[in-house]
Amino acid sequence: MSLPAHVKSGTKQPVYAFVGNPNCGKSTLFNALTGLKQKIGNYPGVTVERKVGTAYSQHGQPMTVIDLPGAYSLAARSPDEAVTRDVLLGRRTNDTEMPDRIVCIVDGSNLERNLYLVHQILDLGRPVILVVNMMDLADKAGLKVRTGQLEQELGIPVIAAEASRGKGLIELKLAMSRPDLPLPHHRWDVPAAISSAVAEIQASLQDNDQKPPLIARAEALLLLTDQDQLRVAGSQPLSDRTAAILDGWKKRWSDEGTDWSGTLVGARYDAIGTLVQDCVQTSDQTVDQSTSDKIDAVVTHGFWGWAVLGGIMTALFLSIFTLAEHPMNWIDAGTVALADGVKAAMPAGDFRDLVTDGVIAGVGGVLIFLPQILILFFFIGMLESTGYMARAAFIMDRLMSRVGLNGKSFIPLLSSYACAIPGIMATRTIEDPKDRLVTILVAPFMSCSARLPVYLLMIAALLPTGEVPLATKVGLMILMYAMGTIGAFGFAWLFKRTLLKGEPPLMIMELPPYRRPRVKDVAMQMAERAGLFLKRAGTIILAISIVLWALTTYPKSDDAINPAEQVAQSYAGQAGKLIEPVIAPLGFNWEIGIGLISSFAAREVFVSATSVVFNVEEDEEDTAPLLEALRRATWPDGRALFTPLVCFTLMVFYVFAMQCVSTLAVVKRETNSWRWPLFQVGYQTGFAWLLCLIIYQTGTALGF
Amino acid sequence: MSNPATSSLLPLCQLSAGSMGMVIELKGEGTFRQRVRELGFGESTAVKKVSGKSTIICQVNGTRIALSHDAARQIMVRPSHPPVSA
Repeated sequence: MSLPAHVKSGTKQPVYAFVGNPNCGKSTLFNALTGLKQKIGNYPGVTVERKVGTAYSQHGQPMTVIDLPGAYSLAARSPDEAVTRDVLLGRRTNDTEMPDRIVCIVDGSNLERNLYLVHQILDLGRPVILVVNMMDLADKAGLKVRTGQLEQELGIPVIAAEASRGKGLIELKLAMSRPDLPLPHHRWDVPAAISSAVAEIQASLQDNDQKPPLIARAEALLLLTDQDQLRVAGSQPLSDRTAAILDGWKKRWSDEGTDWSGTLVGARYDAIGTLVQDCVQTSDQTVDQSTSDKIDAVVTHGFWGWAVLGGIMTALFLSIFTLAEHPMNWIDAGTVALADGVKAAMPAGDFRDLVTDGVIAGVGGVLIFLPQILILFFFIGMLESTGYMARAAFIMDRLMSRVGLNGKSFIPLLSSYACAIPGIMATRTIEDPKDRLVTILVAPFMSCSARLPVYLLMIAALLPTGEVPLATKVGLMILMYAMGTIGAFGFAWLFKRTLLKGEPPLMIMELPPYRRPRVKDVAMQMAERAGLFLKRAGTIILAISIVLWALTTYPKSDDAINPAEQVAQSYAGQAGKLIEPVIAPLGFNWEIGIGLISSFAAREVFVSATSVVFNVEEDEEDTAPLLEALRRATWPDGRALFTPLVCFTLMVFYVFAMQCVSTLAVVKRETNSWRWPLFQVGYQTGFAWLLCLIIYQTGTALGF
Repeated sequence: MSNPATSSLLPLCQLSAGSMGMVIELKGEGTFRQRVRELGFGESTAVKKVSGKSTIICQVNGTRIALSHDAARQIMVRPSHPPVSA
């Protein structure tokens, strides 16, 4: 009695998938259709963003809409594309339903290329709606897309749209509301030489993997001609039988020396070419030197390109460090006020301390970075929606290729200056798995904003106020950022030559035409990021804060007179003493050790941890008492602890050491094993230790 | 001297800026060839080289595509306007 899901649309909420090439305006359309009714998360096991929203039909019926990552082809090259392929083929039914219907969005100004993916999707035999977006751009380029003709040829609804101006939305909604979407009459013949292989694998997929017939045919085509079977976590594997048949055919072909994938791509483009000839009228090339060309002449220029990029980067950093200051102070003042309020309202005791010192101080210490993260994503969002980001990657490619990476690694590394977590998540667009891993491994070297408070405190301790010009302090700060950046490039170079040896990547990427930025989309992206960040602060960081609080509070001693003594004999204090022999050669004592250990929650916790350890009266607004305390701190034999050399060494340690549990958790999820995060802890911290040892011992020998 | 039929193949990186060519042969690994073809850059596509020395921008079917030098070296083209007068 059970009908296919797409037939009984009256009873079940229909599931739509939005699919399209990158830069086709898919997300704008998705946002316009679902509004704020979106659930954003990750596909389990991979950090590919999973966006599901609810839209309403003309009759007010809810429809589930999945916004799949942009892809050029179902033959996946990056984890992003692999997820798109797997959802469409029903290989991720554990976390995502197989869509009943598919909305394909194409860029009308570049129909031929965009139709390639559509052509593969038509193979799936699901009802498809085709949205020809960016009709305005097509017009400008002198192209007349005859959507009526396309509709006739393909047999499916075709909608002309300009998503950025809301044109075509109502028509799309109407089409999506239709209970009876027609199946495409999709005529193209698989090259005869491979049709028997396709048939055999299709049969096995139906029998052994329980796939519907047309999906099975599409998957058979893909399996046979997809060069590289990129697999990501959460993707259901093939049955043994099908895998064996597939291996047999592949082996036979490689023995014969035939390359069917090229033939197949060619056959698809032939079919598309005929279609486009019938449906697109090209007026004579009127626009030769378009606006995009003129802008490109400057921003990809050998000299001016670097100047523009440098200017944008400067603006980005200035904004992160200056514009964010006031909101950060407000958040800081807010958390202090909240803690004070709780202190006044609750009776003294461990539970009150847990709430104020553990929960509020810990989570507040991380929340303070929200303004900087928002500013970073505002910039990234603007650069992406204007189309500049691809040019930045293009310019950086020259530099990155020197260390064996390509330009696509630039965006993740740039993001890592704010926080390594969004940086590592941004690596998912890098196609080559080795390049991706190298980028993940070196991203934490970029000084994130959590290191900033540590640098600021150490610079203040290093250089007595009033005596040194501001330029020296700024110079020292720049030095820290430069060291991290050089470290990242150096290790990338090293890894590409040793551990993850690989061919130099062949970069090939599309440069999208320049567009007016869509402020609404950028704002939405910022809101999403803020939401994810807050979620993290409310879960992982909250838990870590509580654990750290407990470690510095227990075991309680009866004769501890002041907090400093209490900390000294707590678990954290014992751990600090335990690692003292290891860090003493760097000039650090056990009290600094506590700071280093607590930095695993978030590096800036170093500041609050040291103020607890050195028994400073609580005053978060003013670091002066803390500085006084640091200057008074000594070794047991009376030597000053925070000599300028030690302050400098400590800063260098923070540049290189891997000290962030949240980053490690993301790397684990991204690489699907503990191997790489543990390797990061080892190599980064080991290198930091070694470098600090050299600096401190040389410095001491030279009499600093 | 040379006419289109006999003019020899050039890697895309050696095509001079501003001139047109036709893709004749793709070299390199299978994955690279497939991606290039899927980007609409396959055999018998007309390509216009826009600019670039170490990194190259070219125009294919109305799309602007950037390639690294190494990638461009794998794409063999036949210049469609051989230099008539030098």
